[in-house]
Amino acid sequence: MAELTEVDRVFSTYRRDSAISRLGRGETTIEACPPEVAEVLELGRRAAERSGGAFRVWRDDPHGEAARLDTDGVVKGWAVQRASSIVRSLPGTDFCLSAGGDMVCHTASPKGWPWRIGIEDPHDVTRLKATVAVRRGAVATSGFAQRGTHIVDARSGHVPTGVASVTVVSDLLTWADIDATSAFAMGQEAAEWLAGRPGRSGLVVWSDGSTATVGHEGVITAV
Amino acid sequence: MKRIVTAALSTVTTLVLLFGYHTSTSGPLATSSATSVISGSSTSDSSTGDSSSFTGAVAQTRWGPVQVQITVAGSKVSDVSVIEYPSGNGKDEEINSYALPILIDETKQSQSADIDMVSGATVTSEGYLQSLQSALDEANL
Repeated sequence: MAELTEVDRVFSTYRRDSAISRLGRGETTIEACPPEVAEVLELGRRAAERSGGAFRVWRDDPHGEAARLDTDGVVKGWAVQRASSIVRSLPGTDFCLSAGGDMVCHTASPKGWPWRIGIEDPHDVTRLKATVAVRRGAVATSGFAQRGTHIVDARSGHVPTGVASVTVVSDLLTWADIDATSAFAMGQEAAEWLAGRPGRSGLVVWSDGSTATVGHEGVITAV
Repeated sequence: MKRIVTAALSTVTTLVLLFGYHTSTSGPLATSSATSVISGSSTSDSSTGDSSSFTGAVAQTRWGPVQVQITVAGSKVSDVSVIEYPSGNGKDEEINSYALPILIDETKQSQSADIDMVSGATVTSEGYLQSLQSALDEANL
């Protein structure tokens, strides 16, 4: 699984010599970077477009004048989705590939036993708020408790209010992850926005512990 | 109905893989990446020619015990076989990738037997890091 190590080398914002750090400082060009960089930046562009700017990979640096490039919100789901193709190619194999609470599920048979995924209660992590059964698809959750992550609404630069966590179920982890973060960044608009996304279902847990389930099986059309 | 379930049983193999992929946002540990599979704690391996196989210990799942063996050729997993798999019945309901979450609001403890994996903002895979980790490590994957 050297693939994820390579992803970290290219995209880590903690490594000053990563391609993404050098690109952020204007020391290199997209053309000179590994091809994955252009792919991830394109995902970031589409994420910004679809979220009305709530999700952005280029953000104003709160301490300076220059914009800061941070692709973390795109890379994790994308990298795990990509890595899952390694095991997907194995015949007759069911798998659930999870990276820190976000996962790709797959059953060899479309009628195979579904993976049962518990959705953590953001107010009490020893509890589950809901479960979802998935055969072939992805589940991603965004919230304040995310390790070291500071999600802000890129439109205002402010931390979202009213929402405690957003879980998105979709066919690809790349978009489940991006949409969970985008919806969370929108705060009180989370459920309404997510309901307008094609092929998504999910769960929004509000700050007061109440919930909104988004999507209707069979009604949603694929992307 | 019964026949369909039985037919599925003969082909289904269950492999649970968990990634301990620390993104850059996780701080000082950012540079480490790990791969693991739930399966227990001990492994054994046997080598034949260019490929080697690695056996994970038994993992308990909601469907019953699962034990997997991976075969590695070169630096790639060339085969996964399941030495032991559950004999219970799976549910036959139609569930797709857009399945709706069902509210339960219960403790993880009481639900753990019914849950394969947890999605959440605080979830780390550390609690699950066990068996096939060592199988994959031994295989230098």
